[in-house]
This record gives sequence, structure tokens and C-alpha cells, in this order.
Amino acid sequence: MSMTPIALAASTSAPASSDILPRGASGFPSPADDYREAPLDLHRHLVRRPASTFFMHLEGDDHRHAGLYHGDLLVIDRAISPRPGHWLVAVIDGELSVLRLERREAQLYLAPSRPGLATLPFETDDDRLWGVICYAIHALPATGDEPAEPTCSR
Amino acid sequence: MFALIDCNNFYAACERLFEPRLEGVPVGVLSNNDGCVIARSEEFKALDIPMGIPTHKIEPHLRRRIVLKSSNYTLYGDLSARVQQVLAQQVPTLEPYSIDECFLDLRGMREDWHALGATLVRSVQRRVGLPVSIGIAPTRTLAKLANRQAKTQPTRPQVCVWRSADAPDLTAHLNRLSPRDVWGVGERLNARLAGMGIVTAAALRETPDSVLRRRFSVVLARTAAELNGQACLAMGDLETPRRSILCSRSFGQPLRDRASLAGALRHHCQRAGEKLRRDAMQASAIGVYMRTNPHHAGSFHQACEWAALPFPSADTQQLNRAAQHLLARLWQPAAYQKLGVMLTELTPRRQSQTTLFDGAEPARQEALMHAWDAIRARYGRQALTLGPQPADAPWQMNSAYRSACYTTRWDELPRARAR
Repeated sequence: MSMTPIALAASTSAPASSDILPRGASGFPSPADDYREAPLDLHRHLVRRPASTFFMHLEGDDHRHAGLYHGDLLVIDRAISPRPGHWLVAVIDGELSVLRLERREAQLYLAPSRPGLATLPFETDDDRLWGVICYAIHALPATGDEPAEPTCSR
Repeated sequence: MFALIDCNNFYAACERLFEPRLEGVPVGVLSNNDGCVIARSEEFKALDIPMGIPTHKIEPHLRRRIVLKSSNYTLYGDLSARVQQVLAQQVPTLEPYSIDECFLDLRGMREDWHALGATLVRSVQRRVGLPVSIGIAPTRTLAKLANRQAKTQPTRPQVCVWRSADAPDLTAHLNRLSPRDVWGVGERLNARLAGMGIVTAAALRETPDSVLRRRFSVVLARTAAELNGQACLAMGDLETPRRSILCSRSFGQPLRDRASLAGALRHHCQRAGEKLRRDAMQASAIGVYMRTNPHHAGSFHQACEWAALPFPSADTQQLNRAAQHLLARLWQPAAYQKLGVMLTELTPRRQSQTTLFDGAEPARQEALMHAWDAIRARYGRQALTLGPQPADAPWQMNSAYRSACYTTRWDELPRARAR
């Protein structure tokens, strides 16, 4: 296996040179040049703070009622301060776990979805906090059905 | 003022971040090819299993109580880069010193140093998830000592500040400290100092400059000056043969094109390889560091990445291949002012490395490096230099207990359980 790390900013690099249209042989700059913008970069949109952002997969279907499914890709930003209503990754019984943070009468709780599990009182500076989940990316059945976009050959 | 930030038991902490069940468990991290123990958690140290012990010599009754991990430099390198990014957002100048240590140049900042130190420690802990300690002092040499002192504090955040070189608690500390524990003073110098009756760091800093220059070197005189609070050592001045080697240089003119950077990198690898062989050491991991001028207007850019070598090596060609590979990944258009190569996990050189996965013939490579050094020693450094090297063989090694590359590979992401 390869042992070379991947740059943190790998996906925030400048657009490939093939994206940049040459000023044509006509010699005229395209009038559209003034309106060109960088293509939308989903990674940059979802990852605001690369140093503190991590990805995980969700295991288990207990949060299905909240739209979180087994296998979903979780985007976790450790720089976010947890607030009621946030979904957290927390360390419970030595295991990375996903729960919702709730407030009941001025006390914060980690609220499980799985029946039979107790709610756990939570402090603002709790050692069990791993990070706050800011996106869950869920694949629909059509994912990957079509072949990749053909590359343009000249 | 300068600061030294050091990640506590870095490799073990990286493993625990994604495997929290390892918290409180004795964790040992193994060298390339799982040969021996190169890093230990506090609990592991408490079992008196020494550093460097060959894996197969750990007694079975201890083996059952501990968790061993193959070194995962992909993971460590990524987390190291994140620590640097978090720090770089808060202080103007940062110099990586090794994979888990970083000097910060705080000159020009006016701060409550304790508050700044605590903020930095907390933000790394919160944002990256790794415990760090920080020492802040008027010189790099003192900052390094302050960091060691910070690590002995039982409470977090571990911060130690010495505002000036004549702070009473610092003087008391230097009175108890052997010169060997001062940055850049090795075992050999320590023995010679002891022969002159200089057996504490306090005695070293009271020795007249002229004596140190005459009997030892300018560098040791500077070390003593640093202990007296006079900042006069730059990053490259000292070598720390037991832990890491750093070869870096600022360019007279900013370098923009990749070919020139590749040339500079070859040059650094050449020097780094020679330092390794001179000290009869070999390295297990290599890092490349580059940055633009922080004092110029415009966007400041710096980048640093690490990779494991396929097996511990002191071979210039091997080092250069790995370094060029890293450069190719790091490079983006910018006017670079500084480029450096770092080697870490240095171990004493063994004659015959078993290299199951390597096509090269170690004995011949060794002979080649021997001839290389001899030719350059005899005919001058320009007589023979390292030309361009094609990146070839994939970097592979034996790592039976390697954790996943949790932060760099889609198919190795950690899993979090719905509860």
C-alpha cells in the first residue's frame, strides 16, 4: 500500500489548466472573460475549516427517523461549539458514537435514539465530545449508475 | 519570545484519536517493518518496556497487556499538518522542528504569555484532538527547556512561561539540570564539560564566552548565551543527532518554478544523507517543508508533509526519491522563500537490512554511498552531485498492525455508531 499522505488542501487546488480557455487565435479576448468565475467546489462548500474537519461513516440505522442512515458520510467540524439540537460524535464506552444534544430544563443531555439506552447528562466542556456533525451526505439509489463524464480528446 | 509546542506522546495520541478504546491502555508504536518499539504512551512507559526493544523480545505476559501499532506516517503526517495549520492561524511565524514539535517566533507580539499559551494548547486539543504542551521563553533553547517543564505539570493546559532568563524558578531549574539535557549538547560534549567541572546547565551558562569558544565551539558559546536569554541560535545551527535532522535554507531570491525547487531539494537531501551517514544513523521518515516570505505583502503560503521511507535508510538516492515525491504533492504556484528537508525516527545504522520489498541491492547501495562520500571528500562537493531522480518504486513496507489512514483515504474512514 502507498504510504504517502494526501495533502489536506488537495481538493482546494486551482482549476486544472484545461479549464482555462485560451484567448483564441482570433486575437480577441472573449467578452465573457470578465464574467468568468471559479467552478463551484463542493468540498470547499462543505469543508470550511480543513484543519478541524474530519469524515466518518455512520454505522447503524437507529437515527433513520431523523434522516441519518447507515453508511451516510458524516462531515465533522471539531471547531464548532456544541449547542442543543446539534448532532455530535461522542466517545461512549470507548466507541465513536453519534447522538443528539438536547436541553431539558437548563441541563444538556446526549439523547440516544436506540430504545433502552439512557440519556446521558452532558457538560459544555465534556471530555466525551469528539466533534459536531455539520453535514450527513446520503447516497440515493441512482448513485454512480451512469459512466463517468467522457474526457474531451482533441 | 519564542515558544516550543510539542504533542504529548504524539504517535500514541494519533492512534487514540480514532480508536478511543485505547485511552488509558498501554500503546506502543513500532518502527518500519514492525521491528522494534519507537514510541510509547505513558502507560506503556510505566510498564518499564524500554524504547527500541525488538518486538519479539517483549515478554509474553507483558505482550498480553499492551496494544502494539505499526507506525502510520500517513495519519501522523496529516494530523501534524493540521496542528501546524491551527497554530499558523494564531501566530505569525511558525517553524516545524520535527513531526511533533514546532517552534513559534513570538517576537513583535505583545501578549499575556500564559493566556496565549493556554489558548494555543486548548485550540489544538479542541480542533485537532491532540494533547500538546507549550514552553515560552526569551530564546529557543530556553523555550525547549520550558516545554519539558510544562510536561511535568499534572493539570491542563500544560503551559510553562519563563519571562526572562533570570527568573528565580528558571535559575533553580538550571541548577538541577545536567548540560546533556540542553538543546544541542550531546553525550560527548557533556562528558567533556564534566571533565572541566561543568555539571549543571547553570554552570554552563556562567562559563565565560571566551572559554567556551576556545575550548569548544562558537555553537556551544551561543547555546550558553541562549541560556542567558540572548537569542542567537537559528533553526539550522544545531543538530540533534538522536532525534531528527533538519536541512533547510532561505533563498536569496524567491523561487517560483518547480524545477529550481526540485534542485534545491536534491541539494538538501544530499546534505541530509551525508549527515546521517556521518553519524552512522538511518532515518525512518522524511518530511518536506516549504513556505513563502511571511514578511511580504500578499498571501502567505506554507506546506509540510511527511512520508515513511520503505525501510530505514541513509541512502541519499532513497531520501531524494521520497522528498521529490512529497514536493510534487506540495507544490503550488507561489514565490517560495524557504525549503527544507526533515528526517526523523533516527536509529543507529545496521549493516544488512532485510529488504523483502525492495528491488535494490542494499550492499551495493551502501558501497555506492561509501564511494560517493569518498569522492566528494577527496575532490570537493561539486565533483559529484545528485542529478534528477525519477520517482519509481511504490513505497511499501511491512506493517501488520497499522491503523487505517482515517483522514486521507475514502475507503478507510472511521465509523461512528448510531446510538
